[in-house]
Amino acid sequence: MTGTSGAPRKRTRSTLGPDAPPARSRAGLLADRDFVEVRLGGSGGQGVVLMGIILATAANHDGRCVVQTESYGPEARGGYSRSDVIIAGAPIDYPKLDNADLLVALSQDSAQGYVKSLRRNGVLIYDSEIVKNPPAFAGTSIGLPFSLWAKEETGRIQATNVVALGAVARITGVVSVQSIQEAVSEAVPAGTSEVNLKALGRGLAVDPAEWQTDQD
Amino acid sequence: MELWHSHLLREKVDQSSLLVQGNRACALGALDAGVRFFAGYPITPSSEIMEAMAYELPRVGGVFIQMEDEIASICACIGASMSGWLAMTATSGPGFSLMQEAIGYAIMVEAPLVVVDVMREGPSTGRVSVPSQGDVMQARWGTHGDHPAIVLAASNVADMYRLTMAAVRFAQRFRTPVTLLSDEVVSHMRESFSPELVDRYRLTSGDFDFTPGYLNPELAREVHTPHVLGSETHPHVTGCTHDETGFPTSDAGKSEGFLRELYDKVTNHRDELCLYDMKNEGKGRVCIVAYGSCARSARAAWRLAEQEGLPVEVLHLYTLFPLPVEIIQQVARRVEFMVIPELNLGQYAREVRKLAENWTTVVGINKIGGNLITPREILDQVARLIGKYESV
Repeated sequence: MTGTSGAPRKRTRSTLGPDAPPARSRAGLLADRDFVEVRLGGSGGQGVVLMGIILATAANHDGRCVVQTESYGPEARGGYSRSDVIIAGAPIDYPKLDNADLLVALSQDSAQGYVKSLRRNGVLIYDSEIVKNPPAFAGTSIGLPFSLWAKEETGRIQATNVVALGAVARITGVVSVQSIQEAVSEAVPAGTSEVNLKALGRGLAVDPAEWQTDQD
Repeated sequence: MELWHSHLLREKVDQSSLLVQGNRACALGALDAGVRFFAGYPITPSSEIMEAMAYELPRVGGVFIQMEDEIASICACIGASMSGWLAMTATSGPGFSLMQEAIGYAIMVEAPLVVVDVMREGPSTGRVSVPSQGDVMQARWGTHGDHPAIVLAASNVADMYRLTMAAVRFAQRFRTPVTLLSDEVVSHMRESFSPELVDRYRLTSGDFDFTPGYLNPELAREVHTPHVLGSETHPHVTGCTHDETGFPTSDAGKSEGFLRELYDKVTNHRDELCLYDMKNEGKGRVCIVAYGSCARSARAAWRLAEQEGLPVEVLHLYTLFPLPVEIIQQVARRVEFMVIPELNLGQYAREVRKLAENWTTVVGINKIGGNLITPREILDQVARLIGKYESV
């Protein structure tokens, strides 16, 4: 593990000032990890970088330290696009991903290509409508039809990324539900807040029965 | 989508911490330091600075112009600077190359301004969205002639804010262009940005006089009185070597005196200009000397080294030029090796080697493929150097 080993200054409530909200509770597969590396992958135009920004904003609302970086090809649409988010309890030195605890894949290529970067005890979440041949992965692998849900719930396939974020928050607990809701309403363009919160709600409403069938 | 208004950002920051992009923090630092003129031409990965300035400057009584190219951009900044505006531009390697001739002119006419160069892979178009540190020597020697250079390097979002402020301050004080180097990773990353930081570095109008009439009496001999276009005096401004009247001179003695003054006004103030941070001082056999995004890898490597019992120091440089001669030689005298990770083929290591090779061995770790140097790679090199292979 790189980045925050040793004993650097902890980010405590007191450094956030007296008016800081109380710590928000998080629950899920990765909620207890103090240092979490998340990779979001897809193709250009799917809103993968925005996903990273929203996730990082939510983690910041949770009072955690966060670094978000991105990488993309020169194309406006298509090509690869990826966003990495590191969330930790203390300031982060090395800003890039070492090994991912969580990979969210919105395209076949990104699922295939980035699965190598996942830790053995990591979590892979992919859009089962798009990733038709999920890569072999020994850890937890969860396929959910995000793009289908986005169309059903909002009529717009563009909301797929927000639906996925809801499911990510619910399943992994890397960020709290309250924070992801705030982050989505802050980040999306004016006038689309309602639609996006609806999409987020669909993701957050994911039923454990829906995804747990996918493992062993 | 992201916060645009600096006043809005300020309110938010006062309450809690906020997620801010490196480029936005740079724009915020510039606005807080009093920059009110920006002329630029968009280029990845620096465009967000320009975008933020385009939005903010008209709201605070400033001027923003998108020019037809980088040459025009820097020339507009020089013009603004000479007529009393605090000016800044931002670009990346290809644009920075175009600006070089005019940067020389700005040095000659002593126009204070700030140039932000967000480095990407080069030469030429290279790859636009990958980090590099390939412009270090361009920042030092890009323009022709013997000239001074003040070059700062940012390694995180907080640096982008406070070093932009420092750049403005240095430009004003020394009446010369100042280059702030960043790279794609530092500029595009979003990071928690803490409120204490803004308070600590916020300048009030009393701290510095942002009108170009600023003149420190202690610097009177070294820093020329400014020429302000549009003032009641009618200054003559020229890129020719000139004497105290501002008109060209053909006197060899006067020429040499003037050029030496230009040089000395920067290099005689190393103490003030050289910003750095030392970790684990005096306890290492190896010192990792790093700047920019590599300094983050170096700090992470130092934390790993602590766990593994390797004696490592870190010298994190914020000022690359003028060369921090004193601290480099001080460290060189006490360590066996200096390791310098860089995203180029050893541009800064060469400078350090010249200063340190009498006392220590300088070893570079170099990568130019667009990936960062990992903490483990640095530590492997350290372990090899001090013969502790078992840590690999």
